[in-house]
Amino acid sequence: MNEKFKKYTDEDTFSKIVDFPNITSMWAHCVSAYGDNIAIVDSESYTYNKLDKDVCGFRTVLKENAALPGSLIGILCPNSYGFVKAYLAAATFGTPAVLMPTHLDEMTVFGIASKFGMKAVVYDESLEEKVKVLREKNPAVALIPSSALSEEKTPAVPVPSEAPAAILFTGGTTGKSKGAKLSQRAVIAGTRNGCYGIKEIFEQRYLLVLPLTHVFGLIRNLMTSLYTGSALYICRNNKDMFRDVAVFKPTIMVLVPALAEMALNLSAQFGRNMWGPDLKTIICGAAPVAPYLVTEYDKLGVTLLPGYGLTESANLVSGNPEALNKPESVGLIYDGMEYKIVDGELWLKGINMMDGYVIPEDNDIAYEDGYFKTGDLVRIDDEGFLYITGRTKEIIVLPTGENVSPAELEVKFCAIDTVQDCLVFDDDNGRLVLEVLPRMTKIKASGIEDIYGHIKAEVDRINNTLPSFERINKLIIRDTDFVRTPAMKIARNLNGNVKK
Amino acid sequence: MAMSRNDIIEKLTDVMKMAMPSEINEKALNENASLVNDLGLSSVGVLYVVIAIEEFFNIRFDDVGFADFKTVGDVVDYIEKKLEA
Repeated sequence: MNEKFKKYTDEDTFSKIVDFPNITSMWAHCVSAYGDNIAIVDSESYTYNKLDKDVCGFRTVLKENAALPGSLIGILCPNSYGFVKAYLAAATFGTPAVLMPTHLDEMTVFGIASKFGMKAVVYDESLEEKVKVLREKNPAVALIPSSALSEEKTPAVPVPSEAPAAILFTGGTTGKSKGAKLSQRAVIAGTRNGCYGIKEIFEQRYLLVLPLTHVFGLIRNLMTSLYTGSALYICRNNKDMFRDVAVFKPTIMVLVPALAEMALNLSAQFGRNMWGPDLKTIICGAAPVAPYLVTEYDKLGVTLLPGYGLTESANLVSGNPEALNKPESVGLIYDGMEYKIVDGELWLKGINMMDGYVIPEDNDIAYEDGYFKTGDLVRIDDEGFLYITGRTKEIIVLPTGENVSPAELEVKFCAIDTVQDCLVFDDDNGRLVLEVLPRMTKIKASGIEDIYGHIKAEVDRINNTLPSFERINKLIIRDTDFVRTPAMKIARNLNGNVKK
Repeated sequence: MAMSRNDIIEKLTDVMKMAMPSEINEKALNENASLVNDLGLSSVGVLYVVIAIEEFFNIRFDDVGFADFKTVGDVVDYIEKKLEA
């Protein structure tokens, strides 16, 4: 099992990284080995034993709401103890959970729950408004507050390895939002991979700042923390993360590059290491990691390990062992994964790959010869280290790790009647840029003189309806048409940000 | 010690300069400038500014989020009120 990492992993640590057929057996092991350890801190502290008791009670709640093994549920919660409890209960009861990002609007929540045929949605009471339409229009879907509990214990189910454990949303390879089905086996493989190559990985302290609906937050942060008997402190508001750091003193952080860099800049501005003296390791990924971050953190005595993963691969495809850290590389590909490089693009298959997207048609262009086409252009050096050199897919990964579908945004901005066509891309600073070809006939007929001002106002109006990470930061008005393909589509690679 | 509006703007400017994309001209940084649309603050840029303001001015954004502010002037108003409280 991951023999190539053996020489980079402490012997004692390596011997403790064992495989499990499903989350049920992994969780049973965690409770047995670390029962009195703190598992979660969310205002109050919960041991592994206490969490297990609540998970047992929540399975009863699921059962009472007709969410029986084999059925699908949704989880609509911010990062919280309630999320963790519901997710573990579902995963160990054979009721796979669709992890719904909290920025979804009420119509989308209704649409997804209905389209996917969910039996129940577990929601945080602070998001009551988001389930209002679902409550009114589809009463067949049970709505369960995440604080619900039962004193009656329902035991875990030995869920088959190949059964789905969770469905996570992703931009996929074509830019359209899709649900990726992750099996029990895939989640366990991704969880286990997070342990290799790091000496001090068991019984650590993690501070959670990434959303649990994102695969990096769910697998590498929550699941690996639990797997290793560590404590996970849930930061409820990222603006308070450094106050939380002062209280909790994390030893490992899982970060996207933008947050790692933000902390570096704050450290420079305030003349102290914002992460405190206890932090030893940063696992960094979900977006390209600048080698600069590795070297700068090294000066603070912190090892920053760039890695590479996808939602479709249950997070980790490759990772850097701390003993041989190559700042430009995203590390060694984990065992259990087969790959080939076709025209520079990385294709993958293996135990931690998803079992396809929920909508069957979405799989048609995602796979070839049984391999998932990642859309990422790569090279591998003589020692087997992977380097990402570009990407082929029409999806923007922001420095924050958030995925933005330019196509979906363009539809919204093209709905402005004075916009003839438009293009969304990211600039060198990772900001979203909208380039617009105005519809001059309409502009003239409306007597609009300040074209930029008019379209800017319209863009601002739409911006205000979008989640903050999807908002346009810069507007460019064109006075000539875009470069187009023979089919008259905008040639994305010949317009806008042509650096890619 | 009471801080004048100019003092607040000066400190806030230092914070904003660290958070703004490099190609944004500092001249764009005035009280009427929109945080997202004119200064191009990304979501992490906004987070940086919030954390730095709390640290610099020793105040807390309690029941208000940074998304509630449209312009630099709105932020200065808020800091002024918090410092007076």
